[in-house]
Amino acid sequence: MTRTRGRTVAGLVLAAVLVLVAGFAVGRVSSGAPPPAPSTDSAAAGFLRDMQAHHAQAVDMALLVRDRTDDEVIRTIAYDMAVTQAAQSGQMYGLLDAWGLPQRSAQPAMAWTALPSTDGSGGHHMDASTPGGMPGLATPEQLAQLRAATGDDAVRIFLELMIPHHEGGLEMADAVLVRTDVPQVVSLATGIQRAQRTEVRLMQDLLANLQPAD
Amino acid sequence: MATPPNRPAPPTVKQQRADKRAQQLEAFKKREAARKRNRILGIVGAVLALVLVAGTVTTVVVVNLTPPAAQEVDEALVSGEYRDRVQTYPGLDSTHVSSRVTYEQEPPVGGAHNAAWLNCGVYDQKQQNENAVHSLEHGAVWITYDPATTTDDEIAALIALAPTTYSIVSPYPGIGEAMAISAWGAQLRFTDVADPVVEEFLGEYWRSPDSPEPNAPCSGAVEGPGRVS
Repeated sequence: MTRTRGRTVAGLVLAAVLVLVAGFAVGRVSSGAPPPAPSTDSAAAGFLRDMQAHHAQAVDMALLVRDRTDDEVIRTIAYDMAVTQAAQSGQMYGLLDAWGLPQRSAQPAMAWTALPSTDGSGGHHMDASTPGGMPGLATPEQLAQLRAATGDDAVRIFLELMIPHHEGGLEMADAVLVRTDVPQVVSLATGIQRAQRTEVRLMQDLLANLQPAD
Repeated sequence: MATPPNRPAPPTVKQQRADKRAQQLEAFKKREAARKRNRILGIVGAVLALVLVAGTVTTVVVVNLTPPAAQEVDEALVSGEYRDRVQTYPGLDSTHVSSRVTYEQEPPVGGAHNAAWLNCGVYDQKQQNENAVHSLEHGAVWITYDPATTTDDEIAALIALAPTTYSIVSPYPGIGEAMAISAWGAQLRFTDVADPVVEEFLGEYWRSPDSPEPNAPCSGAVEGPGRVS
């Protein structure tokens, strides 16, 4: 008699626990809970860190040329680049912060490109033999040339540096898009691709139309 | 016969001339003596003045050029666990001022500062504290070393460990053997450039969201003297 009652109680408790677990699972899925944050060693986090440094140099170059030319077309493009890329940098900083990830990684730049892609194919570390270890970055000497130039000379140096800088940025965006499906990073990288592809074409046209240097 | 009164005979013309010459000679000697005395006084005065000026200039130059005596290394600050070694300074002032500021920490870790920040980068000359402190407010770290006690290899190692953005590397005369890495409100001293605590500090403080103005710029303002990269 006592044994039977004990079994009944145990069965009821077990059933109650199962119902609770099932209810929690259904509730969690249907409430659209955010996917887990990427890890600090993920391609997403690596991209967010490196692209901030890459963007920071673009912002510097855009502001330098804006101070050195009266050409309204160049000044507008430079303004657009500086403000857009500074805003994107803020997004990247904010995503890392919101995920509780440090801005700093002891890994060298672009180390995340050695991670495999999401379709399972192997990664290969992009070899960037520029200072800062990222594709398209200008050297300190090139920045000094831009700083020392004025007028059309400054515009020419700017375009010659910013076209490869954008192309490097596109490579980095391509590299993260095959290695992550974190929605915020996919959206950011896609936006960077769209904007920078257009700007590369525009800058190539402007460079071609610039009067040849004396 | 009356004796003629004992009166000197009136001087002859010749005598008068001789007397006059003697007087002139006397006067000339007096003038010469005075001139000589004045010349000696002048020389002595000039030498004294020169010594005074040279002494003042030397003192000023020496006082300004000689770095403050290097600080003794506090062993507790440069050995042991990271958490025990990081010095933190909460509640720092962040007022903008145009005057020089005397900071309580050396190198400074925060406080009132100039409206213009120091552009991040590597410098081989001492930088203005008031500008560098503003960069710390924007989330930068500042790596400093005493040029009198740091080797070229050590300086190269410091440059290599500094992040490429949001960091300043510059000499700071007088801090002695213990190099320093500073962020807003925090500082770590170390004597070995390979000390792993430096990376721990970077992980916690470089571009920290807890800095007063995280992600504000560290370029486009003051280009300090001796920028290397």
